[in-house]
Amino acid sequence: MCITKPDGTNVDGIALRFPRRNTWLNTDSSKPPARVMLVDDSPERAQLVEERLWAAGFEVVAVIASAKGLLFQIQQHAPDVILIDIESPDRDVLESLAVVNHHNPRPVVMFTQQDDPDYIEQAVGAGISTYLVGGINPEQVKPVIDVAIAQFRAFQALREELHDTRIQLEDRKLIEQAKGLLMAYQKLSEDGAHRMLTRLAMDANQRLPDVARTVLATLSPGGKDKGRSR
Amino acid sequence: MSRDKQLPPPEKSALTLGFMRLSDSAPLVMARETGLFARYGLEVALAREVSWANLRDKLVVGKLDAAHLLAPLPMMTGLGAGGMRANLLTGLSLGLNGNAITLSRALWEALGGERDASAPGMAAALHERIAGSPGAGPLTLATVHLFSMHTFQLRMWLRAGGVDPDREVRIIVLPPEQMCDSLARGIIDGFCVGEPWNTLAVQQGIGAVAATGHEIWNNAPEKVLGVTEAWHNHHPATHLRLRIAIMAACQALAEPAQRELAADILSQAQYLGLPAKVLLPALTGRFCRAKHLAPMDAPDFHVFGRYCAGFPWRSQAQWMVRSSGALLGKDIAEEQCRALVQQSWRPDLYREAARHLGLPAPSRDARPEGLHAGCWEFEPGVVLGPDLMIGGGQFRLSAG
Repeated sequence: MCITKPDGTNVDGIALRFPRRNTWLNTDSSKPPARVMLVDDSPERAQLVEERLWAAGFEVVAVIASAKGLLFQIQQHAPDVILIDIESPDRDVLESLAVVNHHNPRPVVMFTQQDDPDYIEQAVGAGISTYLVGGINPEQVKPVIDVAIAQFRAFQALREELHDTRIQLEDRKLIEQAKGLLMAYQKLSEDGAHRMLTRLAMDANQRLPDVARTVLATLSPGGKDKGRSR
Repeated sequence: MSRDKQLPPPEKSALTLGFMRLSDSAPLVMARETGLFARYGLEVALAREVSWANLRDKLVVGKLDAAHLLAPLPMMTGLGAGGMRANLLTGLSLGLNGNAITLSRALWEALGGERDASAPGMAAALHERIAGSPGAGPLTLATVHLFSMHTFQLRMWLRAGGVDPDREVRIIVLPPEQMCDSLARGIIDGFCVGEPWNTLAVQQGIGAVAATGHEIWNNAPEKVLGVTEAWHNHHPATHLRLRIAIMAACQALAEPAQRELAADILSQAQYLGLPAKVLLPALTGRFCRAKHLAPMDAPDFHVFGRYCAGFPWRSQAQWMVRSSGALLGKDIAEEQCRALVQQSWRPDLYREAARHLGLPAPSRDARPEGLHAGCWEFEPGVVLGPDLMIGGGQFRLSAG
């Protein structure tokens, strides 16, 4: 496989190793793409971010987890920019490099495992997230950050969506179970059981799943434990 | 109790404090677990963080109210060396000592640890070994942060033996939790880290201790309670209560029985998550240098309550700024150094809290170092501990 960059040069060796390479998106063809290293303990997320970075024209030279010999990896790959989980213990390692060795790469902190994407924004806003020491132009790093943030957001949104879906499914199951019990105990039709649940919910000013949980706890044998928590 | 009533009401009572997975987080953990925070009207959550960078950043962004910080960090953050620039300050040191230098078991034995395990003896043996094998690559030693007492102590120890820390060894930064694994895998030859990570290496048989922090500099500063200047200005009464509660915890930790309790509590998953037997040797002052050796008496391995341990000496802060400047390869101007120290090191805040607890507090902000082999009276009623430095080092700096 051979990919031709906009300036006409071929980069087949690397392209073979990284078939996802897509340099045509790199807007400024006069400069070589920034060489990015990704340090992330979440493999799924790392994969998505890596794909987006390639698609945006950056060269992802390595993707590693934290505590996997970061210093050695940096020596080997000599990246321009490092994207790292904001919660990674390796951040102190990177800061020390930024301070003492000006030839070393300029790490950029980006991700967080915590469900708190705002923190990244706050951190970036406060200037926390970049350790730029001479050499590299902050403007060159900005697009890397932008792409990574966008992909991080997308990943986070996806995860939240999945979370919501799972909760909805669990709620539905609770409601069905409660309806079943009401039908058996109160000799109601399914419709009647549903109406009764809805009325209970309105009277108690509670959500339907919460009422269902109370019904389960009250009516089912040994149901107290089942109904208490999700 | 009557003193409590004189305290102004807190501006904020629900607080989050950050800490690192180290034994010297004990004052924060014990203040929470023994109800001292609650006694002073504070509801404190403790958040374990994985890097000093993260602690600092979360303080600055306001996600943490206060944090367990390496002593040089407030000044170095004020200088903007490292990740970012922000004004941090401390009015309370969290304790003295607590670190050690551990070498791989093989290196320790090669240096004659079995015969002379003293700190200067080991450093001299290291020098001989390096001088005797000019072709060998440099040894790699790890510290937990560039601007830390760990780095300074490692360099002091090397120099005491005649080893040039900039040319004859390679010093890198690693997180405390990666030290033992890196030593076991031969990636590094030794490290300077806080407890319990030295003891873990000793008990696992992968390392042995070449020097304790106390042997390098008796009763050296170590961690502080850090807040941002803005947070302090907005919450002076909360900050005062916080300092009083932690100071009271430090006083309690001066009792041996409390140390055992602390080891027990710290071993819990949400704090250090390690067996109490790893925490006990340093906390109870029965420290083991090597797996097969009998424990030695090291009552000052961690000092929390004695010797006015919580007092933030501006002379020590000056020393830290200068030592950090030397690491950066630049002279920090006298004026800038003074400004940094004055802004971030607040002995006045210590005195304010000490008054409420009826504890003695030094009236001057500077002390000499390297002169006293035993306890000594700094001022009437103010007893300080020994302050000798390895190799006979001394300094007498102004209060900044």
